[in-house]
Amino acid sequence: MKHLQKAAALILTLGAAGAFAFAADRIYTLPDPAAELKRLFPAAAAFSPLAGQPLHFKAFAADPKANPSAPPIGIAFWTTDLVPQEHGYHGPIHILVGMDMTGVLTGVIVTYDSEPYGYFSVQPPKFAAQFKGKNIRDPFRVGGDVDAVSRASITIGSAARAIRDSSRAVAKQLLPPEGVK
Amino acid sequence: MEPYVESWGEILGPQALDLALLTGFLALSLVSFFRKSVSLRFVTFVAAVAYMGFAKSRLVSVVDMFAVADLSLPIFKYSLNSYLLWVFVIGSTVLWGRLYCGRICAYGALTQLMDAVVPKRLRVDVPLKIEVHANRIKYGLLAGVLAYFLVTRDVSIYRWVEPFWMFGLFGTTGMWVGLGVLLLATVFVRNLYCRFLCPVGAMLGILSNLTVFRIKRWAECNSCKLCEKTCEWGAIRGPKIIASECVRCDDCERLYMDQQKCPHWIILRRKGKMFVSSPG
Repeated sequence: MKHLQKAAALILTLGAAGAFAFAADRIYTLPDPAAELKRLFPAAAAFSPLAGQPLHFKAFAADPKANPSAPPIGIAFWTTDLVPQEHGYHGPIHILVGMDMTGVLTGVIVTYDSEPYGYFSVQPPKFAAQFKGKNIRDPFRVGGDVDAVSRASITIGSAARAIRDSSRAVAKQLLPPEGVK
Repeated sequence: MEPYVESWGEILGPQALDLALLTGFLALSLVSFFRKSVSLRFVTFVAAVAYMGFAKSRLVSVVDMFAVADLSLPIFKYSLNSYLLWVFVIGSTVLWGRLYCGRICAYGALTQLMDAVVPKRLRVDVPLKIEVHANRIKYGLLAGVLAYFLVTRDVSIYRWVEPFWMFGLFGTTGMWVGLGVLLLATVFVRNLYCRFLCPVGAMLGILSNLTVFRIKRWAECNSCKLCEKTCEWGAIRGPKIIASECVRCDDCERLYMDQQKCPHWIILRRKGKMFVSSPG
């Protein structure tokens, strides 16, 4: 009996430690979103690897090896890296966001969600399409400048907030202040 | 570029109407429960199907258990309606039993409305032997679906263990056929899904072991079968009410109060008469 109790306690502790280690890790996203980046920046010739603080990709018009001084034409990042605390109905919604150097979104791509009603809220292309060309100073209000979807308000609200808050955080830290419109 | 700061108005504004309607609906369900009123119970059913079901698809689901299991609950301040419902469901189950199943759940309300319309002669009473085993299926389904989720992390399994997606009017042909079969079977066996299959019902059934205010029974209940025959949930077996199967529909409690039908009152009256007629 005592052994059983000890074993149970051990398993519980290990499980808790495992869950903690897992939670401390970066939220897993697509390891190599090359095709997605190309869709966000069709004009880009090259992208930097995911790096920096906060984590981001840089999009370049020409290969930076040939022309190291040329500034990037835009920045892409995962909402899950910037606002990992943002949850929908069931966990974070993974969204890759592209932004030009003036704070205008070049597009967003929803790559993963575990929302029960994701199939009619954030998965249809209509959801992502409405963010293309949006200025990060916009309010991103569901039912206002973001379309509401009935029965999926928690999901839509979370995705819209994730895009807005992550874009603003990236703009604050990485965009030239004079360039943001 | 500063972070966007939301005012409380912006957070509460979009939720206000729903919060008011949900509170109103929950209040209605409690009034119908405490007044033991049949007509109010049917009003509650219609409101459950229309508002909680087709308008909002707001049903407690295995998805909510998944969220608890992997600690990814929605953010409180943006999801006040979900939290209000969850607190009500857990609170009411601990206080009175599976009240949620009996009058809040849109699917349960739908099959109970069906029950009122379907001719009685089509009904099949499940023999007790089968019923006892069939009751356990839902616990197996609950354990199975939770294990499946913990291994695969696949939330979408909910579509195959719950028919609640029907209120969103989305479904593949296979899902609609399955639902059709389920509803057809429900014509013959009352509340089939709720009694034998529902994982949420199983979870609330486990929780209802804690129920504080249970249905009282008279000494006469030991021999009388009136309530047992009336119970549409198969929750009364002889003198005992099986708490985990009872959804507090009030049918037996209305009988207890009926002084013309319940033997308890009839015996009391006869005793009284005997007492009056034989003063010596």
